[in-house]
Amino acid sequence: MTAGYVRTVLYLALAAAAQAAPKTVTCANCHRAEAQSQPKTGMGIGIEMSPHQEVLERHPKQTLDKNGYHYDVENKNGVSTYTVSDASGALTLPIRYAFGYRNFTFVLEYQGRFYESLVSYYEPIAGLATTMGDERIHPHNLTEAMGRETPEPEVTPCFGCHASGAVSQGKLTLATMKPGLTCEHCHAGAEAHMLAISAGKTAPSPRKLGEMAAEEMSNFCGECHRTWESVVTMRLFGEKNVRFQPYRLANSQCFLGDDKRIRCTACHDPHVELVHDDASYDRACLACHGVTQKTCTVSNKNCVSCHMPKVQAPLNPTVFTDHNIRVVHAGDPYPQ
Amino acid sequence: MRSARFFAVTVGLSLLARAATFDELAAQAAQARRGNQIPEAIELYRQAVQLRATWIEGWWFLGTLSYATYKYGDCESAFDQFVKLDGKRALAWSLLGLCEFETGKYDPALDHLRTGLAGKDLAPEVEAGVRFHYGLLLTRAGLFDQGNRELNRYAQGGAHEPMLIAGLGLSALRQPLLPKDVPAERMDAVMKAGAAERSLVLGEIETAATGFQELVKEYPAMAGVHYLYGTYLSYTRPEEAIPEFRRELELNPDNAEADAMLALLLLRVKDPAGALAYAKKAAEAKAADALAEYAYGEVLLGTGELRPAIARLEAAARLDPAALQYHTALATAYSRAGRHEDALRERRAAMELAGVPGRESGAQNARSGGADSPENR
Repeated sequence: MTAGYVRTVLYLALAAAAQAAPKTVTCANCHRAEAQSQPKTGMGIGIEMSPHQEVLERHPKQTLDKNGYHYDVENKNGVSTYTVSDASGALTLPIRYAFGYRNFTFVLEYQGRFYESLVSYYEPIAGLATTMGDERIHPHNLTEAMGRETPEPEVTPCFGCHASGAVSQGKLTLATMKPGLTCEHCHAGAEAHMLAISAGKTAPSPRKLGEMAAEEMSNFCGECHRTWESVVTMRLFGEKNVRFQPYRLANSQCFLGDDKRIRCTACHDPHVELVHDDASYDRACLACHGVTQKTCTVSNKNCVSCHMPKVQAPLNPTVFTDHNIRVVHAGDPYPQ
Repeated sequence: MRSARFFAVTVGLSLLARAATFDELAAQAAQARRGNQIPEAIELYRQAVQLRATWIEGWWFLGTLSYATYKYGDCESAFDQFVKLDGKRALAWSLLGLCEFETGKYDPALDHLRTGLAGKDLAPEVEAGVRFHYGLLLTRAGLFDQGNRELNRYAQGGAHEPMLIAGLGLSALRQPLLPKDVPAERMDAVMKAGAAERSLVLGEIETAATGFQELVKEYPAMAGVHYLYGTYLSYTRPEEAIPEFRRELELNPDNAEADAMLALLLLRVKDPAGALAYAKKAAEAKAADALAEYAYGEVLLGTGELRPAIARLEAAARLDPAALQYHTALATAYSRAGRHEDALRERRAAMELAGVPGRESGAQNARSGGADSPENR
C-alpha cells in the first residue's frame, strides 16, 4: 500500500467518475451563435418577469389619466405595481408579467382571474397609453378600468407565444413556464435530440425549418404572428392588421408561396434582434428584382422605405412596417 | 216584351264580354289593387293572364297579392310562370321558393331560394327572411353547416322567434328536420340547443356555455349533443373538445362529420397520424360532404401532400362555396404549390366572403410616403 498505489487508484477512480458523469449538452454546444444571441432578442425575452423588469426599472414612475381614471405604474426596489384610482378609491396590483419587448402590456391577476391591463407602456412615447385593441372600452368601475378580463382560453395562447413550457395539453402550466421562446418552441424535437446526444445516442435532428418556402413559413411563424387565414377568418380588416405581418406579406403582389426568397427568414433572422436599418433589407429585394423580376426605376437602395410604408396602429402610438410590399401611390387607401 | 228582354240581356252580355278584353281587365285589376280590393284584384289579374299568358306584370301582381293573402298555391303558380318569362328577378325566385316552402315542395323551394339569394339584389329585410327559410331547408336537406350559417346570420339581427330557435337547434344537433316535424320528445333538447347556439352567435358567451353544459348534462345519450358541445369547445379548448367528439362517435358511429371534426382537432394538437385516420374515415363514410373533404384536405396539407390536398379542398369549396375557411385553406394550398394565380383568386374569394369593408382613409397613414410621394422622388 504505497502512496503511489493510492494515488493511482484515486486517479483511476476520478477518471472513471469523470467518464461516467453525463456531459452537460446544450443547444449552444453545436449552435453557439444562435444560442447566445437569441435569448436577448424580443422573442427570446417575451415577458419581463418580476423582479427583473428592466424597462420599468428605467422608467420607475409613469402616470396616465384616461376615461376618468388615474393610472400609476411604479417600480420601487425592483417591485412593480399597477394602480388605478378614481374618486371612489384605488386598486393596486403587483405586475408579475410584463408582456412584450420595448412595448409592454401587463397581465395582472386579481381574485383568481387574469386581466389584460387597460393601459400599456409604449417606448415611442416613453409612457403609458391605452392597450392596443382596448381603445373602445369605457370602464364603469375600478376593476374594469384596471383591465379587460381574459378568461383562460384567451390568456393561454398569450403565454403560449410569449413563453415556453407555459402550455401543456392546451392548459396553462405556469409552474413550468419560462419567459421567452426557447429553442424547443420553434424547433420541436430539439430537447429530445439534445438529451439523446447527452446520453451518447444518436437522435433524429429537429426538422430543418430552412426547408420551408414562403407560404409554409408564414403559416409557421403565423401561429403567433397570425396567419393570412386567421386574419381573414377573424375578419381583422383595416389598419389594425398592420401588425400581422404574415397576413400583410401574403397580400403582396410579389409573394410567391413556393419561393424561399420571400419567406420570413429571407429578411429576418429570428436568432438576432430585429434590424432597423432599411438598407440592410435591400439584398432580399434584389434577390428577385434585377434577377427574375423587374427592377425599380427610382432606386435600388432603401427599397423598404418606399415599398413597405410605416403605418401607425389606429389610436395607438406604435408604428409598424407594413409588410404588404407594393408600389405605394400618394393618396392610396390602406389595402385591407 | 220577351224579345225586348232577350235583346237587352244579349246586348248586356256582349257589353260584358267586351269589358273582359285584356286591356280593360288589366286596368280594372290595377284599379282594384290600388283601391286595396285584393280579392277582386286577384280575380281580375287571373282573368287577364288567362287572356295574355305573356303579361309579366300580371303574373307578378297575381303572385305578390296571393302571397300577401296566404294563397300560397296560387302564388306558387304565378311565380312559376313569371320566372319562365323573366328568370333574372331575384325577388321572383325568392317568392317562388317561399311559396313552395309553404306548400311543402321543399326540394324545389331550396333550389329556388338559392337562385334568389344568388341574385344579390334583394332588399335587406327580404333577404333576411329568405335566408331564414333557406337555412331551415338546408338543415332539412342535411346540409347542416350551411343551414346553421344562414340561420346564424338571421339570428344576428336579433330575431328570437321559436321557429328560429328550433331551426338553430336542429342545425346544431345535425338533425335533418324542419321545426314542425320535430318529435315532441326531442323538442326540449332542440330548443335548448338552439337557445345556446343563439347566445353564442350574439356573443353571450357565458350564457351559451351554461346552455351547452346543461344540454350535455340533460341529454348525454342523444345523438348530436356531444358533437355540438365539442364544436363549441373546439374554438377555445381543442383538447377538451376531442373527448366530446369521441363520445359522439361512440353514440353515433356513422357521424362522419364528428370524424372530420376530430381529424381537424388532432391536426391542431399536432397529431397528424391520428388526424389522417379520422379524416380518411370521414371522407370514405360520407361521399360529397364538404366538411369531410375539407378535413381530409387540411390533414393532407399538413403532411405536405399538396396535390391530393388541393383536390379535396377544391371539392369542399365546390360543395359549400360560401364556407370561408374552405377558400382560405385552398388559397394556402395553391400558394404552397406555386399556383399563384389560383391562390390570388381564392384569396379574393375568401376576402369577399369575409366582407372586406370598403376603402378606408388610410392613405395619410403611410408615414414615409410612397414611391410617388414628393419626398421620395
